[in-house]
Amino acid sequence: MTEVAAWLSHVDYQVAVILFLVGLYILLSSQNLIKKVIGLNVMETAVFAFIVTSGMVDRHAPPLVNDTVAPLASPLPHALVLTGIVVAISVTALALILIVRVKAECGSIELDEIGELDEIRDASESGESAR
Amino acid sequence: MRKGFAAALVFALAVPMMRGVSQLPRPGAPDGPVHTHVSAAYIDGGAAVGGAENLVTAVLLNYRALDTLGEVLVIFCAWLAVIAAMVPAAGEREREGSVPVSPVVAYVLRILAPFIGAFGVFVIVNGHVLPGGGFQGGVVLGALVILLAVALGPGRVARALPTNAWSLLRASGVLVFAGVGLAGAGLSGHLFGLSEQPILREWLMILLEVAIGTAAAAVLAGLFLAMIGSDSP
Repeated sequence: MTEVAAWLSHVDYQVAVILFLVGLYILLSSQNLIKKVIGLNVMETAVFAFIVTSGMVDRHAPPLVNDTVAPLASPLPHALVLTGIVVAISVTALALILIVRVKAECGSIELDEIGELDEIRDASESGESAR
Repeated sequence: MRKGFAAALVFALAVPMMRGVSQLPRPGAPDGPVHTHVSAAYIDGGAAVGGAENLVTAVLLNYRALDTLGEVLVIFCAWLAVIAAMVPAAGEREREGSVPVSPVVAYVLRILAPFIGAFGVFVIVNGHVLPGGGFQGGVVLGALVILLAVALGPGRVARALPTNAWSLLRASGVLVFAGVGLAGAGLSGHLFGLSEQPILREWLMILLEVAIGTAAAAVLAGLFLAMIGSDSP
């Protein structure tokens, strides 16, 4: 019973965990490289949501110093997540351009099709060396 | 087979992760460690010491300015890497297979564009007093450039500025930020020491925000233009 109560009082964090796991499932289960990048982005979003959520405080105001009397949310998670988002954008951009490159070199962005290409190439190369 | 294995792994991870976060301090609890250590000091003295009413900006541009310099460097390097890894022949098939945008979309975008741009600039220059800042406003401006590239054709947007001007804009964040940091080292004796005078410090912050904003916008637009192969590096 206390387990359920603890789960419910942390429901903000649980949503982030579920989102993280959804992203992990996409990353692991799909063969398509673009879908893998999407899964990675879902995981990143979950982590950012988790960290930002940890910075909130009951009856909070945004961390702007002015006339508000309400307790201010912690500014540190916001600043760290901003850094994280920028890094995530950079990683996504790099991954996408590498996928464009893979498509140009191998003609496919499906991992299993690329694997078959490799096997065919290996087989032909070993056949040549045997001759 | 692969999907079943992935699902099993995900469910096996779900149990410890959910139990783990259940034992953290309740989200929103005012006595949680997030609110009691560094953050408490930032909230008490951040506006006076950091020089910005928006404490997130105070943390980004003052307390953790070196982090932010790294951040600006990371997106700049991402753009450099994208240019380096770009498929060389991409520029040749620019026109081929491009679908014309509906006139309704293009017309609405033409009406909206000045407002989007004004909002982006507003978010950037008010970053030290209101929610927002260089990166946030820069992303708005970058999205505007990407929208225009979709509606008007990427070539037209890429040719709106000379290639050297685009590159300079992309590097402006790193250059201005490093310049202000070094100038602070010379003037106040420590790296990124913004001026003690409130007015000068405020204008330095706005300068940093504008530099970060233009760099973020230009890099985002550059990433998009490079991906669709109409950037001329």
